[in-house]
Amino acid sequence: MSEAKLVTVTINGVESQVPAGELLIKAAQDEGTYIPRFCWHQRMSPVGMCRMCLVEIETPRGPMMVTACTSPVSDGMVVDTESEEVKKAQEAILEFLLANHPLDCPVCDKGGECPLQDQALAYGPGESRFVEIKRSFEKPIPISELVLLDRERCILCALCTRFSEEISGDPLIEFQHRGNTTEVNTFPDLPFSSYFSGNTVQICPVGALTAKPYRFRARPWDLQKVESSSLQDTAHPRIEIHASQNEILRYTGVDNDATNHGWLSDKARFGYEYLRSDQRLTSPLVRRGGELVEVSWTEAIDTAANRLDLIKSEDGGEALAVIGGAQGTNEDAYAISKFARVALGSNNVDARLDDALASHFLSASVDRATIADIDDADTIVVWAPDLKEEHPTLYLRVRRAAQELGATLVVIHPRATGLDDRASHKLTYRPGGGYELLDELANGDHPEVSQAFAAEKVVALVGIASHADGPQLAESVAALVRRKAVHAKLMPLNSRANTYGALDMGLAPDLLPGRVGLDTIGCANLAASWGDIPAVIGRDTRQILQGLDSGEVRGLVLVGADPINDLPEPSIAVDALDAAEYVIAIDLFLNDSNRNADVILPASGFSEKEGTVTNVEGRVQKVNQIRPAPGQARTDWAILDDIATRMGVSLGLASAEGITKEIATVSPAYEDLTWDSLEWDHRDGIVVPIHGAQAINHIPVALQGSKAPTAKLTLHVARVMYDNGVRLQHSPSLHKLGPGAVAHLNPGDAPSIGARDGHTIKVVTTRGEGEFTCVLDEGTPTGVVYVPFNQQGASSLGSDPVVRVTTS
Amino acid sequence: MGVIREFIKGLRVTGGTMLRTITGEELVTTEYPKEMRQKPPRFHGRHVLNRYPDGMEKCIGCELCAGVCPAKCIFVRGMDNDPENPTSPGERFGFVYEINMLRCIFCALCVEACPTEAITMTHLFEMSTTNREDAIYTRETLLMDEKGGVPHMFPDDELADMDELAVADGWVKATAPSGMASYQGVKMWQGTPGPGDWDPEPGQSELDARSPTEDDDG
Ligand code: SF4
Ligand code: SF4
Ligand code: SF4
Ligand code: FES
Repeated sequence: MSEAKLVTVTINGVESQVPAGELLIKAAQDEGTYIPRFCWHQRMSPVGMCRMCLVEIETPRGPMMVTACTSPVSDGMVVDTESEEVKKAQEAILEFLLANHPLDCPVCDKGGECPLQDQALAYGPGESRFVEIKRSFEKPIPISELVLLDRERCILCALCTRFSEEISGDPLIEFQHRGNTTEVNTFPDLPFSSYFSGNTVQICPVGALTAKPYRFRARPWDLQKVESSSLQDTAHPRIEIHASQNEILRYTGVDNDATNHGWLSDKARFGYEYLRSDQRLTSPLVRRGGELVEVSWTEAIDTAANRLDLIKSEDGGEALAVIGGAQGTNEDAYAISKFARVALGSNNVDARLDDALASHFLSASVDRATIADIDDADTIVVWAPDLKEEHPTLYLRVRRAAQELGATLVVIHPRATGLDDRASHKLTYRPGGGYELLDELANGDHPEVSQAFAAEKVVALVGIASHADGPQLAESVAALVRRKAVHAKLMPLNSRANTYGALDMGLAPDLLPGRVGLDTIGCANLAASWGDIPAVIGRDTRQILQGLDSGEVRGLVLVGADPINDLPEPSIAVDALDAAEYVIAIDLFLNDSNRNADVILPASGFSEKEGTVTNVEGRVQKVNQIRPAPGQARTDWAILDDIATRMGVSLGLASAEGITKEIATVSPAYEDLTWDSLEWDHRDGIVVPIHGAQAINHIPVALQGSKAPTAKLTLHVARVMYDNGVRLQHSPSLHKLGPGAVAHLNPGDAPSIGARDGHTIKVVTTRGEGEFTCVLDEGTPTGVVYVPFNQQGASSLGSDPVVRVTTS
Repeated sequence: MGVIREFIKGLRVTGGTMLRTITGEELVTTEYPKEMRQKPPRFHGRHVLNRYPDGMEKCIGCELCAGVCPAKCIFVRGMDNDPENPTSPGERFGFVYEINMLRCIFCALCVEACPTEAITMTHLFEMSTTNREDAIYTRETLLMDEKGGVPHMFPDDELADMDELAVADGWVKATAPSGMASYQGVKMWQGTPGPGDWDPEPGQSELDARSPTEDDDG
């Protein structure tokens, strides 16, 4: 951004230089003068609703009272924020605000951290002349499954309404009535079912909006706090973890420019309940005579190591494999990578679950877009999963860029997405027909899109919009974008939160730590630390599973992975895990994939360990610990180090911080990265590769793909925010928010099938069939059946787009 | 010479007191526990959690006592009242309430902080136990029964003067229960209330006053 022009203002007698055009309230704050406020928020447009920010400015006609949040500074402005008149005004405003405010503080969730309490104390009159009965409303009314509204406490600041309208784009909460009967509320029969509703709870300056999962669980002075980065969002939004008595009670968003601007999706905000679930694994389990029995760590490690050693000595490392590692820290991922290569002697390792882009494409550093590039872009192309469902932080950033910063937004997706209302151009295509649309775009058949590509700064977010087209389509899209816009920057998207960190640590069959391919000569330090490692490219997740099925792979280590529920084609995983000779699982919970494992080892989860993580743009941030892991659970790296030691191989991993140091020495991209710098100088993280270290130089290539099926109906399966993943299963507040087993049809298709809204329909594909509740929805184009992926009670349909729908 | 005179003068006080004690004219030693002394009205003894006359608990689980406690010996957790069968008036009640009496310094700041006068103190001070666990008073031990009686951990403790549990300590309020500003600086003496209704305090408006009703005198 260009340097803004500076103007001189005098605030309370002190002259300072501030950027021209900035709002007085912000300029004063940056210069160290706090002007009290309720309705102003630095990420939203000002409305001047509350009048708390009144200040006096000098005008030719004498001092004038203005609201600092709506007045831009001008050169020579003289401001007094503390004059007698200003104090009188502040007292009056507070007396009015409290005239109808209930004395709820002792039972109010906000009490203790309430801007109204604080400012009443600091700027209020200390007494009230109002003796009339206060306005009363029905005490808290649920406005969604997660949020409660207490209208008595609302001070009508319009923060929640503005957030919903301007930031998240679901204007579901609004003011009603006028004058002194104004109240904030939702529309009849329309709950506040926004994916971002929790943000309004955080920004509400009073306790009018409260969150059900936190309500009455604690008071602010109970809470211990630590900053961290959420692993429930690929952008790793910065959060503060609040805990009391070793129990996580809430996450709040931390305002930072780099990622989330303080906003969190409800999944990232409320996704902590699973950590305190009593279903957590707390002691090592070993299968004896078909039953899982609790054993000591020594015994479990011995059992696992002996068997791995046996298989390795009989069939070599190629008979062993590791799947997982995308949900933990980089340190854990590094340990997995080193364990597989050095202890198992195998390159059969993959953090992606057969639903991801090619590893070289995901971790390429060339022309990689950062999140900040979205703000600068002239054109943003999103040919990816619905960002609102899978990448909520990116969704908010792209939305803002299109709405506030004037970017041209092109959205390409098989059905309606959350960004459509801000898209300049929206193209839909039949699932499986992506390549045809790609050809059309290459030929310039859509002039308006071609024109958008011609802009100077183009950012393309590419990912797997529909499993029907397969992962190659995204790479071909990237190739096309690069051809049309030479300077385009690309952001390849993947769903699991720390996949980027995992790949940077080498958790792919063809990668080594530090964004180096297995085929390139890695850094010399790596060779020194790791010794000889197998040179042939290993198996990816699908090949590992096929190998298990055929017996070529005999032993599998699952680290926090549930392929049966996560793979687009679950049947492969089911068969493989049935046939697997030996399975060791390191996990937080029992899940469908590890239930029949031979050894199950309890792992510590998020907020129970320290480490670093890498987000979608390559930003490395620190995650912190605030509670101990339950029972005997341990970190992944410590478990793997022990198993390796018992196999007679020393991995030399002693502490998480030690691993970070090792990563910095062996991996060129992570050079110089230390916990100290992340904790003190770079709280918002550092984007790797640091110093432009030599890293994967992968140029996307256009690949050939299949044609759209000619079937009357095609199937579009896509992930949604709330699925039936094991962590959400143990998060009661969020789990019930999933759509369940539903199939969306265009109302135009309904008559020919005989489907009616809310009735049960049967969906049949070549890979499976199941009964779904029919939802008629204009957002799904004709000829498309849309089924949310991995839902409670829904059977898997595979990724073949040919589908048949019947009413019985 | 003067020294001896002063010495005898001093002994006269000692001797006089001794004589008056022997004759029983002025007793200085009380034979506790056979005999209990009357404590000053503001004596800070064991806590009690109060109820309203209708049996509802006064504690709303707001944790202000826990927040103010200088010894950090109170642990409170609130919970939603069941609207059909509420424990306390309003939305929230204290479902965990614990005081670690080993750490308590009997400063009564918790009493001062409580917005509903739910936690108050009695005159009972005999609380010795033989293990640490018994020194942690829970909600069950602290809460008065529905008739206004206060339970004791060891009802057959011979040393404890159970009657003292029914004596509330008097205290000076810094704020008015109504929150009205006209109370600022007005000191109010008040025995901490057990169950029952109390007369409206000076300055409380008609609307605020909770006038006792017929069946509310328990
Ligand atoms: S919103 Fe603030 S001032 Fe109002 S009742 Fe709650 S804590 Fe008290
Ligand atoms: S509910 Fe809260 S955020 Fe919304 S208008 Fe009222 S006070 Fe403001
Ligand atoms: S009397 Fe003082 S030390 Fe004892 S519980 Fe109350 S506030 Fe804490
Ligand atoms: S902050 Fe300026 S009017 Fe509310």
